[in-house]
Amino acid sequence: MKFEKKRASTKQEIPTASMPDIIFMLLLFFMVTTTLREVEVLVNYSLPEAEAIEKIENKRLISYVWVGNDGRIQINDSIVKLDDVQTIMYSKRQALPNVIVSLRIDKNTDMGLVTDIQQELRKAYCLRINYSANIKI
Amino acid sequence: MIKKKKLPEATIPTSSMADIAFLLLIFFLVATVIDVDSGIGMTLPEYVEDVETVEVPKDRMAALLINENGDVLLDGQPISLFQIKQTIKPRIVSKIELPSNKKLIVSIKTDRKTVYNAYIQALDQVKEAFFEVRDEYGNSKYGQKFDDLDEEQQKDVKEAIPIIISIAEPEKIGKG
Repeated sequence: MKFEKKRASTKQEIPTASMPDIIFMLLLFFMVTTTLREVEVLVNYSLPEAEAIEKIENKRLISYVWVGNDGRIQINDSIVKLDDVQTIMYSKRQALPNVIVSLRIDKNTDMGLVTDIQQELRKAYCLRINYSANIKI
Repeated sequence: MIKKKKLPEATIPTSSMADIAFLLLIFFLVATVIDVDSGIGMTLPEYVEDVETVEVPKDRMAALLINENGDVLLDGQPISLFQIKQTIKPRIVSKIELPSNKKLIVSIKTDRKTVYNAYIQALDQVKEAFFEVRDEYGNSKYGQKFDDLDEEQQKDVKEAIPIIISIAEPEKIGKG
């Protein structure tokens, strides 16, 4: 007696025709949800940790000020002097009246420098600030 | 009779399409940074040339002083950084029923040499105290936490418990 393997008559293939569509959908999702990093950060900094953290809803309003562990200040793409902070931030505020300044300050910075920057921001009328911090786990 | 030669089917091979799309996908995954912009929000006071001083009754103020070693003084009493929340909370709660010009003001003063991290830790404690009181107030009045309330209720809670934090200018003595 000859044995024959029973085979299902249906095709044993996964239809791959719609695969590109699925991948494109994923791709589009990532393209829409992510923002490319525009500026190169020139200073080294590590943020402090905090618990009472708020998220900034509107990313377009944010303008960053970095302060590195060596006390250098960066705005936009370049290192700036403390005296120039006011002028730069004032022009930013004129372009975007309700700007939120996100302060990305290294956790070992002296408060003196932080206050000096805050004074400059006050003079430039950039009153909404945000001390950038990581979530404490 | 001329037999028409059968043309091969003209199709674009689509089997590599997925690969191309995958490549693009991987590029975007690698090239993008999803960095969350989170932190402690504050509003600075407007800049005025000559500051006029307003006397504030002592029981309305909670004065925090942080020196360069990270030691904390609350109204002249030395306390640890992590006690700030517990100490301030009852003082906020006691002022919920009072009119808006009698609410608690927390003043944070630092030295020029104070480390930024210590300042953020203190500010974090204060903020958290305010947030917890708001949550508790929302819970008792509306049965929900502050974040889950609707706009009108949130406005009411904000009015009852406004977050007033004053950043005092640091002492000039330690400059150098």
